[in-house]
Amino acid sequence: MNWKVMSVGLLFCVPLIFVLAKGFNYDPRALPEELTGDPAPNFALETLDGYPVSLEELKGSVVVVNFWATWCVPCLQEHKELISAAEEFKPKGVAFLGILYGDTKAKADGYLKKHGSAYPTLLDDAQRTNIDYGVAGVPETFVIGRDGTIVKKYTGPVTKMELEVLLNGLLAK
Amino acid sequence: MISILGRSMVLIALAVSVLGAFAGIAGGMKRSEQAWKWSRIAAYVAAFAMTAAIGLMEYALITHDFSVSYVAKVGSTTTPLWVTIVSLWSSLEGSILLWAFVLSGYIAAFAYMTKGKYVEHSSYAIGTSLSIAVFFTFLVAGVADPFVAMETVPTDGPGPNPLLQNHILMVIHPPALYLGYVGMAVPFGMGVASLLAGKIGAAWSVALRRWILLPWGFLTIGIILGGWWSYEVLGWGGYWAWDPVENASFLPWLTATAFIHSALIMERKDGLKGWGIVLLLVTFLLTLLGTFMTRSGVFNSVHSFTQTPIGPIFLAFLGFCSFVSLVLLSTRMDVLGSKQKPVAIVSRDSMFLLNNLLFAAFTFTVLIGTVYPLIHEAMTEKKLSIGEPYFNELGIPISIAIVFLMGVGPALPWGSIDKKDAFKRLVIPIGGAVAVVILALVCGATGFTPLLSFAVCGFALMTTLRELLEPAAVRVKRKSEGWGTALWTTWQKTRRRTGGYVVHIGVIMIAVAVTGSGAFKDLSEVTLKEGQSVEIQEYRLTYTGKETVTESHRASEIAKVTVSRSGRDIGILEPKLNNYFRMGTVIGTPAVHNFLDEDLYLNLVNMNEDGSIVGLQVITQPLVLWLWVGGGVMMLGTLISAWPARRRKKVSAEVKETA
Repeated sequence: MNWKVMSVGLLFCVPLIFVLAKGFNYDPRALPEELTGDPAPNFALETLDGYPVSLEELKGSVVVVNFWATWCVPCLQEHKELISAAEEFKPKGVAFLGILYGDTKAKADGYLKKHGSAYPTLLDDAQRTNIDYGVAGVPETFVIGRDGTIVKKYTGPVTKMELEVLLNGLLAK
Repeated sequence: MISILGRSMVLIALAVSVLGAFAGIAGGMKRSEQAWKWSRIAAYVAAFAMTAAIGLMEYALITHDFSVSYVAKVGSTTTPLWVTIVSLWSSLEGSILLWAFVLSGYIAAFAYMTKGKYVEHSSYAIGTSLSIAVFFTFLVAGVADPFVAMETVPTDGPGPNPLLQNHILMVIHPPALYLGYVGMAVPFGMGVASLLAGKIGAAWSVALRRWILLPWGFLTIGIILGGWWSYEVLGWGGYWAWDPVENASFLPWLTATAFIHSALIMERKDGLKGWGIVLLLVTFLLTLLGTFMTRSGVFNSVHSFTQTPIGPIFLAFLGFCSFVSLVLLSTRMDVLGSKQKPVAIVSRDSMFLLNNLLFAAFTFTVLIGTVYPLIHEAMTEKKLSIGEPYFNELGIPISIAIVFLMGVGPALPWGSIDKKDAFKRLVIPIGGAVAVVILALVCGATGFTPLLSFAVCGFALMTTLRELLEPAAVRVKRKSEGWGTALWTTWQKTRRRTGGYVVHIGVIMIAVAVTGSGAFKDLSEVTLKEGQSVEIQEYRLTYTGKETVTESHRASEIAKVTVSRSGRDIGILEPKLNNYFRMGTVIGTPAVHNFLDEDLYLNLVNMNEDGSIVGLQVITQPLVLWLWVGGGVMMLGTLISAWPARRRKKVSAEVKETA
C-alpha cells in the first residue's frame, strides 16, 4: 500500500466531491448577492408625479424596493403580488417603492393605469440607482431593514407569500 | 410495442454486460482463456442489443410514435426530418441511450481487435469497461429510460430545443463529443488492467496509446465543432467562453494529451509508468466529472438546457470510480516499476517531462477555476463568478509555453546531448520566430503577448516542418530520389511520428488563430434605414430590405445586407431573427463571411415592425478561419497516426510482448 498516493488522492477527491455535492443546494443562475448585509445605497429621486423621495427619510421603517420595467414580462407577473403585499403591509409601516429601469415615464403611466398601482414608482433617469444596487436585469427586489441594511435580494418575480414570511419576521424583531 | 421491444433490448444489454464484466475480471485473474472468450461474446451481444435499441428509438422518432415517452418529449410532426433524427441526442434520456450505445460499440471493437493478443491485459480491460457499461445501461433501464410507454398518447410533441434546430453543426458536435468522452472508458479499462496485471510492456503501451488516440481525436473535433457552433449560432462573435461545460470537455482533453506524450516515454524508456496510468484514470474520471457538470444543474452554462435530476447518481458513480482508482493506484502502482534513469536537463526526455508538467498545471488551473465558485459558495454562502480574465491570465502563458516546447522538444535528441549542437538545431526555428514577428508587425499587430505568441508559433512551426522534411531530404541527397518519392516513403515508414507532427501543425494554426482573433477583435453597432449604407473599416454595408421566410417550425425575419470590401463586391449577408412557434422564443442567427485573413460577422439585433430600420452588430475578427482549418489538420494527423499498421508490424509487436 502506497500511503502517499492514497493520501494525496483522497486530499484531492474528497473535498472536490464534497463541494460538488453541496452544489446541489445552490441555484447557479442566482446572481451574486454581495450587497446583502451591507447598508443600502441611498437615493433621492422623483416619483412619476414629481414628488421627491429619498431612502434616508424612510430610515427606521422596513422598505421594499422593486426595480421594474413595462417591457418586462416577469414584472407583470409579480405586479399583482406586489400590490397585494403592499396593501397588506403598508398599514403595518412597511414602505413600498418601485424604481423604473430602462423605460420612459409615459409608458410607465399607461402601464400603471392599466394594471393598477398601490405605491409610488420613482424615475431613475440617470440610471445611478440601479448601478448602485448592481441591478443586472428586471425584476429585482430588495428588502431593506429598519437599520438601513439590505436584508434580502430577490432576482426574478417575487410572490406575496415569500414577502409575507420575510416581512412578518422583520416586523416582529 | 416499441417501448416493450426497446426496453427488452436494453435489459438484455444490461444482463450480458454484468455477466461479461465478471467473466472478464475472472478471466484476467485466473488467466482463463474460456472466461476471456465469454467476456468477448458478452461484449458483442451487448453491442448488438444496444444497436437494436438505438435503431428502435430512431424508428419511433421518424415515425412520430408518440406512445414512446422520449418521442413525446422531443418529437414533433412539424420538424424537418434531419432535426427529427438528431433529436435522439437533444435531451437527457436519448443522450444517455446514445452514450451506452457508443460505449458498447467501443468495447466490442476492443474485444474484437485484441482477440488472442495482450493475454495478460485484454480480459481485465474488457471486464472493467463492461462494468462501466453496466452503469450506463442501468441508467437507460432505470432513471433515464427513454422507452417508457405513454399512458395517454399525445398527437404531437414540442420538438427539440430551438437552439439545436438552428444549425447543421448540431448534428455532429454532440456525437463527436460523446465518441470522445465515452471512448475514454476503454483506456480507463486498459489502465486498470495494467494495474491489475502489474506490468506494462512496450507492446501494451503502444496499444494504450492507440486506443486513447481515437477518442482523443473525437474529443478534439467535438470541442472545435462546439466552438464553431457557438460562433455560428449564438451570435456573440466568440467561440470559447470558459463556460463550465466547455471546461468540462477541455479537462480530459488536457490529461489525454499529456498521456499521449508520456506514453512515448513509457514505450521508449520504460519510464513514467505510474504517472501514465494516473493520467489515464484521471482522464476518464474527468469525463465523468464533465458529464456531471453538464447534466447536474450545479453549474450555469449555455448547456443549461441539459439539466436533469440525474446529477446525484453521477456524482455517486464519480465518487465510486475515484475511490476504486485510488485503491488500485496505491496498492498496485509500485508493482509497475519504472526503470527510467535521471535525465539530462536539456534533452528531449526532459522536454517530455516538462510538457507533462505544463499539461498537469493547465488541468489544475482550469479545474480550480471551474469549481472555485462552488468552493466559495460552500465557505461563504456568497455567489461569485470566475470570468475569462482568470483563465486567460493563467491559460495564455501556459499555452505559450506549451507551443514553445513544441518547438524545442523535437529539435533535441534523446538522452544526453552536446549543448552547442542543440543550440545549432534551434537557429532555424529562431529565424522562423523572427520572420513571423516581422510579418505580424507589418500587418499591424501590436502588444507584447500577441507578438510573443506569434513568435513561438513561428518557432514551433519551423521545428515541425524540419522534422517532417528532414528525413526525406536525407534520402534525396543519398539515394538521389525525387522529393515526392522521398517524402512518401519516409512518411509511410514513420506514420505515427508523421501523424504526430501533422497534429502539431494543426495546433500551431489554432494558436495563431486564437491569438489573432482574441487580440484584434473589433466590434461596433449601427442602425440602418432601408437603402442606407455605412462604412466600417474597409467594409461598406448597405441594408437593402427584409425578407420573411416561414417554415413549418419557425418564421425568420431576414435582413439583407449588401457588403463590399475595399470596393470589391462580396455579396449579400443575411443575419436573421428566428421565431420558433412551439417554444415561443426568438433566437438570432448571425451571418458570417470568412476571408483568409479575417471574418466579417453580422448580428441582427433588432428590426422595427415594417422592416424599414434595422440595428446591426458588426464584428471583425482576424484569422478565425484558421481555427477550423487547424482542427481539420489535427484530425488528419490523428488519422495518419492511428491508422492500423500493416500486418508485419503487428507480428513484431507480439513477439516483443512475449519476449
